[in-house]
Amino acid sequence: MHETRHKFHENLRALEVQALDGLDIVIQQLDRALESISYQDVELAGMVVADDDRIDGRYLEVHQGILSLLARQAPVATDLRIVAALLHVIRCVERMGDQCVNIAKLVPLSGYEAPKDKDILDAIERMGRLARSQVSQAKQAFADRNTELAHDLLRQDAEINRLNREIFRRAVEVGDNLDMREWAMFMILVARCLERIGDNTVDIAEQTVFVVTGLFREFADASTPSEAARPL
Amino acid sequence: MNPPETTSSKAPPSGAADKTTKEQTDMSTAGDRSPERAQATRVAAKPGAGTGKAGHGVKLKDLNAYYGNQHAIKNVTIDFPANEVTALIGPSGSGKSTVVRCINRMHEEIPGARAEGRIMLDDLDVYGPNVDVTAVRRLIGMVFQKPNPFPTMSIFDNVAAGLRLTGTKSKDLRNLVEHSLQAVGLWDEVKDRLNQPGIGLSGGQQQRLCIARTVAIEPEVILMDEPASALDPISTLKIEELIDELKERYTIVIVTHNMQQAARVANSTVFMLEGEVIEHDATNKIFTNPSDERTERYVTGKFG
Repeated sequence: MHETRHKFHENLRALEVQALDGLDIVIQQLDRALESISYQDVELAGMVVADDDRIDGRYLEVHQGILSLLARQAPVATDLRIVAALLHVIRCVERMGDQCVNIAKLVPLSGYEAPKDKDILDAIERMGRLARSQVSQAKQAFADRNTELAHDLLRQDAEINRLNREIFRRAVEVGDNLDMREWAMFMILVARCLERIGDNTVDIAEQTVFVVTGLFREFADASTPSEAARPL
Repeated sequence: MNPPETTSSKAPPSGAADKTTKEQTDMSTAGDRSPERAQATRVAAKPGAGTGKAGHGVKLKDLNAYYGNQHAIKNVTIDFPANEVTALIGPSGSGKSTVVRCINRMHEEIPGARAEGRIMLDDLDVYGPNVDVTAVRRLIGMVFQKPNPFPTMSIFDNVAAGLRLTGTKSKDLRNLVEHSLQAVGLWDEVKDRLNQPGIGLSGGQQQRLCIARTVAIEPEVILMDEPASALDPISTLKIEELIDELKERYTIVIVTHNMQQAARVANSTVFMLEGEVIEHDATNKIFTNPSDERTERYVTGKFG
């Protein structure tokens, strides 16, 4: 039994690699964005903003590749589901890239002095590590068509959501100092960006399950009742 | 089902078949071109059969077909719902065409070929003991891969041929021919040259002429065996549009090698392999998330 659409399947695999490698660029951007927050490094933050062009470029390449594959190869069955999922994945990549830019743009706004509150910064850094690990796990789950790994992202994402709420509470209690309060407000925005990145990895996990099973089921995440009362 | 070897169109017509022909003639000369006429044919073919005017489905139950010792169709059970397009796909030699040729009893025309099992057109047993093969083929029309207009006949006569055989009066003929040519979207293209030979038309036009000839006698089911594979892309799309319109009035079974064609025209799709039905499901399901691994491999081109 030989493969009759060899070239097409080669193209499809290459397209998938191209899309998933976009997640590696996201990780690089995320690392630098977090570093710029931790060390209040405005210059590094500027590089994150400038480098977003790489992610946008990747988005356009993959999008174009998907369009021509649809137009010329009319993929069906699992192939069709992969193509549809990749369209979704590359959009998540682009959005996560934008969140890294949002984080980086907050760096100069939050002042040129060192971070003000160790608890908040610790929580942000923990969120950052979790977000990074989720992006990496989402990539692996999709590439390996591993639904268990995909579902495990939910568990991790719950922790990011918890930290997001914790940072909010801490910021409210941070004290009367105006600079301190302002910095804490910016950290709430940073936490919000990281929380959104977590959600995007869950989206990729959902697409993984869709590719494998052919069924799309939104994972119970931010929209579950226990999460409804969250502050942000 | 009768032992098919004893059933062939060349066999002398039974008494029931005689009656059928006579009744059809009577009905036709009365100028009655309503769907009831086709139904009357069917009722005559098997007294007591036939209900309602709505579409007529075809059911295959445990169909087995042979070419000599070769077992070509193995226990095939398929339900072709009324007023739907069902596509048969599968690699060459998977038995798609044989299935279709069993439905209107053309399979048995091949020397040494026979079929077992049951084929029901609503409650008419297509292989029933008193069924007239000619009457069956009037109810179940067929369109072939290569357009095959009667070569010596004009465009008009090609469509009128079947009607004349059923005894339609010549004063009704013109209306019926026009109606049939309009149904296949050919009328405007040929209305000024109806007396020219049918084979003078383009391939796509010839195929639509053949479909007009088929629908002229108001069948209940239309079988299409690769109806567009010899046509150019535009003619192909016209045939596909036509299939979509025809399903309002007929039950359509189409055999196609072109999977995208199946995806475009069929309500449901049957995947066959080595004489067996592997999967029969909504076309959407077959082409987005087939249940069987073999279907998946076939439609994605991982074998074929």
